[in-house]
Amino acid sequence: MKYLQYHWKSRTFVVLAISIVVSILLISLELTDWAAQINQQGYSHGSEGGDGKGIPSVLRYILPFVKELVLIGVPLLLSLLLMKVLRWLRRAKKA
Amino acid sequence: MSDWMQNLQKTRYVMDTLLLVSFMIVSAPQATGVPGHEWLSLLFIVPFAVHLLLHWDWIKQSAKRFSKKITAKERFSLVWNYLLYLMMLLATVSGFLVSVALLPTLNIELHIQDFWSKIHHDSATLIMPMIGVHLALHWSWIVNLTKRMRAKRAKA
Repeated sequence: MKYLQYHWKSRTFVVLAISIVVSILLISLELTDWAAQINQQGYSHGSEGGDGKGIPSVLRYILPFVKELVLIGVPLLLSLLLMKVLRWLRRAKKA
Repeated sequence: MSDWMQNLQKTRYVMDTLLLVSFMIVSAPQATGVPGHEWLSLLFIVPFAVHLLLHWDWIKQSAKRFSKKITAKERFSLVWNYLLYLMMLLATVSGFLVSVALLPTLNIELHIQDFWSKIHHDSATLIMPMIGVHLALHWSWIVNLTKRMRAKRAKA
């Protein structure tokens, strides 16, 4: 843990201070016309638990993680594929 | 004492794994329940800060590196990391602003705006594919470290 402990107080202070300043700037987004428009239109994406009717209770705990694995895994695989193609194209161009 | 604590790369590997697992738990309010989601999100700040602290050198050099001659992949990764940081902050801040369990427990009452509900939902969803791309950009490091950690365990 020595790498984490090295100057951790000053570094944590810097990270938190920058994050708080950026967060305050992000909060100021609520003063924009964009925010006013969304507030006027209203927004709902359903209840957090979803309807959940007819779904076995075990799946209610598993499905959110499946959704995350798909949302992370698919872009991960696509990016790896794209990087491989780009590397192959670069090599083909050099040859 | 565990060997991984004495090696920066291995410390990063273990802490990044913890960060990913905790992110996945925090991002599933349907499984944890909304109060659990909000309290765990507060705790999530710790592994997130640890991740930033363990990459302190990278953060310090990132601004200089951007102006230097670096590969397109490195440049993209640099911009992507900062976008991911911003998105993570946006999801966290908007999460606090739509809190229905954490802040009321602390006797802080907020008027929840639809704007922040939308921002929280959209940013939290967008972070996942962004993390997928982030992992892909560091895939060779992940594979190498996984092999090293496995080899060490097999020897022990």
